[in-house]
Amino acid sequence: MSENNIILDIRAISKNFGALRAVDQVSFQVHKGEIIGLIGPNGAGKTTLTNLVTGDLKKTEGEVFFKNCNITNMKPFQIARIGITRTYQVVKPLEGMTVEENVLVGSLFGRENRSNNLAHAQKIAGEIIELVGLDKKKNFLVSDITLPDLKRMEFARVLAMEPEVVFLDEVMAGLNPSEIEESMKMVKRIREDKDLTIIYIEHIMKAVMSISDRIIVLHHGKKICEGPPQEVCNNPAVVEAYLGKKYAKEVINN
Amino acid sequence: MLVRDEGNFSKSINLIIIAVTIIVLLLLPRYISGYYIRLFTAIFMYASIAQAFNLMSGYMGYIPFGHVMFFGIGAYVTAIFMGRGLNFIVAILLAALVAVITSVILGFPVLRLRGHYFAIATIGMNGALMSVVQNFTDITGGAMGTTLPIIAKPPALVYNYFYLAMFSLMVFTTLLVYFIIHSKFGYAIRSIKANEDAANSMGINTTSTKVITWAIAALFTSLAGSLYGYWMSFIAPEEVFNVMISVNTIVMMLIGGAGTILGPILGSFIIEVVSEFAWSGFMEYHLAALGIATIIIVFFVPRGLVGTIADLRNRKMVKIKQ
Repeated sequence: MSENNIILDIRAISKNFGALRAVDQVSFQVHKGEIIGLIGPNGAGKTTLTNLVTGDLKKTEGEVFFKNCNITNMKPFQIARIGITRTYQVVKPLEGMTVEENVLVGSLFGRENRSNNLAHAQKIAGEIIELVGLDKKKNFLVSDITLPDLKRMEFARVLAMEPEVVFLDEVMAGLNPSEIEESMKMVKRIREDKDLTIIYIEHIMKAVMSISDRIIVLHHGKKICEGPPQEVCNNPAVVEAYLGKKYAKEVINN
Repeated sequence: MLVRDEGNFSKSINLIIIAVTIIVLLLLPRYISGYYIRLFTAIFMYASIAQAFNLMSGYMGYIPFGHVMFFGIGAYVTAIFMGRGLNFIVAILLAALVAVITSVILGFPVLRLRGHYFAIATIGMNGALMSVVQNFTDITGGAMGTTLPIIAKPPALVYNYFYLAMFSLMVFTTLLVYFIIHSKFGYAIRSIKANEDAANSMGINTTSTKVITWAIAALFTSLAGSLYGYWMSFIAPEEVFNVMISVNTIVMMLIGGAGTILGPILGSFIIEVVSEFAWSGFMEYHLAALGIATIIIVFFVPRGLVGTIADLRNRKMVKIKQ
């Protein structure tokens, strides 16, 4: 892929929590339209890495570039406005509001220089709610819907912000196999629809393998491997740290 | 399941009720005695402050216990400028300006705090402001208080003026809060209460939203303070910087319904009327009763009267639909 295709360029970012180095000199580049799978054992630093890029946490070292523009020191709302958004591993719905209002807030704010017109934002929100299949529940308060629906709602909210790059942080955790299947189809369909670049954090290997163009593996805060799914599965360091020999074989055979 | 539903039918009924109430309240001073006019003036004053408070805590989730400081600023700045010979309109506007500037300057550091820390920090600020006023005797008249010019007109007429002025302030504050809440900015405010981190990551500049909201609340509170000072024509620091005014407005907002548009008005009506007629008989238990009432509301009717009624109505509508 050519150089100018790079949408997100992460250069040697690190994060220290006291003596613990949660993310250690991680660098990688994301091309426009890619789906990157970000995997690793619990505590590997995947969510911390996301928080660093989206500005939720301050970086100890390193820089982040979005379309050749340095976004290292931007605040979360500024990063959201230039087109990088995320969902949360532990869902963060806007309590006390309905599903529709949650998505509406996404379409009212989100990307910069958009219409301030409530009716227009409402129309966009309605379309996206339909796209993720929540139209029957749009008038429900977020406290009254199930976890899978909350995850859909967060995804809808992120889409309503019209982003270019989306971090999906374990959107499938807690879902049963048929819900995972459905969720995967939805992500694939919407990526093509909306021309999104996705960084996909997930523990469910089957999902990651089938959906990602490239996979990045973190372990103890360090990037230990990067490449196409098959290659990553065969990498001895990854097998050692994360997959285990038996499981690696299974994944490859499938 | 609780589903939001605002039927057009009930909306137009609400509008008619509100219009009738406004007309009745406008004509009321012709038919009631000076005592009741003063009582209603106090109700309108508290309702205005409670409404400003509602924007800040009912909708945005920040509880400024020391919010009364803007009431004190309004009263004192008005007194100081009127003492220098300015007319009331100029003085009230200057007071509002001082309150807004103060809220912005204090807001940037203090609105970084959340929850109890924010509440306590504002109490500290109010206390600090009160002692400044108490000790700058040359300008403020010190702890003994200060006077404002008395309007040279028959008292009955003066009471009518303040009745109408406070009433207009209440209506204006309520309308403005209504329009803010139904605007894009209103969604930013409500998102901050719902989940501040999520709001930030959705592109909402939470810091500036919080500061602007506090400045709006400060503006209306200071207008109420200015009117109060001119109405009473005597103010003392321990009176207009009294945290109990904040506590009272919080209880009013909670009883009526925090985060509802008519709640603060209903709440201030109930509390003022009850304290006027029932509690005057047993003054010493006043505070205890207020405290117990607050605890009961928070535990059993957290959405307040207006909020609970709205919930019940919505539930009924859902049942009808099903």
